[in-house]
Amino acid sequence: MPNISVIIPTHNRPQLLPGAIESARAAGTDIEIVVVDDASVDETAEVCRGLSDIKYVRLNRNQGAAGARNVGLMLSEAEFVSFLDDDDLRLPGSLDSQRNLLVQNAEAALVCGGVAIANQDYQLTGEVVAPRYPSGDVFWQIMELDFPVMGLSSLIRKESLLHVGLLRRHLIGIDDWDIFARLAEVYHAVVTTEAVGVYRHPTRHSGQGSSARAAQLRRVVRHQLELLKLPRAQSATRKQRRLVRRKLRNRIADTSLWNAAQRLPYGEFDQVSENILLAMQLNPARAISSRGPRRILDAFAAKRRAAIH
Amino acid sequence: MPRSSIIIATHNRPQLLPRAVESARAAGVDVEVIVVDDASTDETAGVCRALKGIKYLRVERNQRVAGARNIGLVASKGEYISFLDDDDTRLPGSLDLQIELLAQNPDAALVYGQALYADHDGRVSEELYPTECPQGDIFWQLLTQNFIPCGSAVFRRSAIVSLGLLDDTIPGLDDWDLWIRVAELYPVVAIGQPVVTWRRSSVRSAQGTSDAASIVSQSIRKFKTDWTKLPRVAAASRDLKRATWRRFSENMLEHALWQSARAVASGKPLQPLKSLKVAPQLDPAAIVRIAKHRLTQSSR
Repeated sequence: MPNISVIIPTHNRPQLLPGAIESARAAGTDIEIVVVDDASVDETAEVCRGLSDIKYVRLNRNQGAAGARNVGLMLSEAEFVSFLDDDDLRLPGSLDSQRNLLVQNAEAALVCGGVAIANQDYQLTGEVVAPRYPSGDVFWQIMELDFPVMGLSSLIRKESLLHVGLLRRHLIGIDDWDIFARLAEVYHAVVTTEAVGVYRHPTRHSGQGSSARAAQLRRVVRHQLELLKLPRAQSATRKQRRLVRRKLRNRIADTSLWNAAQRLPYGEFDQVSENILLAMQLNPARAISSRGPRRILDAFAAKRRAAIH
Repeated sequence: MPRSSIIIATHNRPQLLPRAVESARAAGVDVEVIVVDDASTDETAGVCRALKGIKYLRVERNQRVAGARNIGLVASKGEYISFLDDDDTRLPGSLDLQIELLAQNPDAALVYGQALYADHDGRVSEELYPTECPQGDIFWQLLTQNFIPCGSAVFRRSAIVSLGLLDDTIPGLDDWDLWIRVAELYPVVAIGQPVVTWRRSSVRSAQGTSDAASIVSQSIRKFKTDWTKLPRVAAASRDLKRATWRRFSENMLEHALWQSARAVASGKPLQPLKSLKVAPQLDPAAIVRIAKHRLTQSSR
């Protein structure tokens, strides 16, 4: 029996998938790779059949990333699981070192590390996103999204996952936040700061997800209300709940202003306006304070400068 | 590796659970019985510890029935899988019988059978559901009505793996949704004999009826948003789609009326208002037909 399962949901990316698989293989000594082909309509199946030593299954009907990950869980046999996207990479040895940490910390359900950010061609930008909090109870940090919640940088004890429930398929794009919150509600997390994976940052044209869209940010704000119904949040003081609510709203307001600034130079006014509108709804004071508009102007100026040079 | 897995999701029913577990163990040879304790707050955990030969999984936070069944699916090892409710029972040897049928029909992904109704106290009656068991391509029939008793279905693990797990946003409908998704792609086999007993919820236990009302409106939403988008429905002729919607509407309405009658009979005169408020969402022609049918029946 392998001791780590790496679950890779994939959809129509046969050219990138083998790289993700190879990186996972080099990240641990005793691992099982489960590729869940989420109803790809291209040559993904043939590509996978050409790869040895993977568990490959094809879904007949598209389930979305979370649904595919759940199917991967059903096929996985190891004690520890890690989720990897088909266009991201795991760093060599990273799974083994994370497994050792989980073995040493029996009360922890997951270990979270950092990720190195890369562009579409896997060139590192030098930026590393890592948790800023020590190991232990990170529930409230996750609740306010002040903690990177990425499957890519984590290893999870499968038994703990079964204790709190599987991934929620209907939470498109935020199923990882949801499961991290539910795990952290009950269990401790081991936190490390060095990068364990490479995240291929989406661009405007890469067609990856829609995380920059205001609609998605709105769903984040809405889903926090669901997470605040968890017993642990319910048993906290009202003040505490209000505080995390406000912090998240401010965070999302800032993000949408930033998104607006990013889109403005490209003249994508529908997205600019929907993001500004969202920021106004979440925190009008923040959106119209000098910080908000100045950020937009600064970003605009920076883009223009970059274009000139 | 066990040949089959029976998944029992349970929540606060320690007095009924052992009976279900015993029946599951006697339903076939080489059965893995998985009990998913969905955050029970009573002595369920203690009762399960005393039960021999089960795989007990305790869930910390209530997942409701579909979420708990999914956890059972992930933990299961059997090639053939069946769900059993904690207040129902499997008939002895029934699982092996069904597995044999599936083995004889390699194309089929699911086999179901009949359920014997039991009353609230578990006394088994002679009444069977469903009275007819269609088999083969039952996709269109299933879209109009769920005639597969949940505990009676045995399906291949490979079917779940190719279709995805249960939809955990619709507890109470999750099984119907799965049968539909299975039947869209695979033939279904039926066995014309009882394989489970099915405990009827009493109207008195308030939950039964209020759930029934919301289940009807959830079914309508599911039908409109998901089932009609299944590739096979999307590719069907308009006439077939319309006829299916009409049959579905009739069945939903009949169900709501039946629930209402039960509620009134047990002294809840306001329940029909709740159950029947779904009517405007249904096919008007179906409403007219059901009303006409009822009127001619009562005047006779």
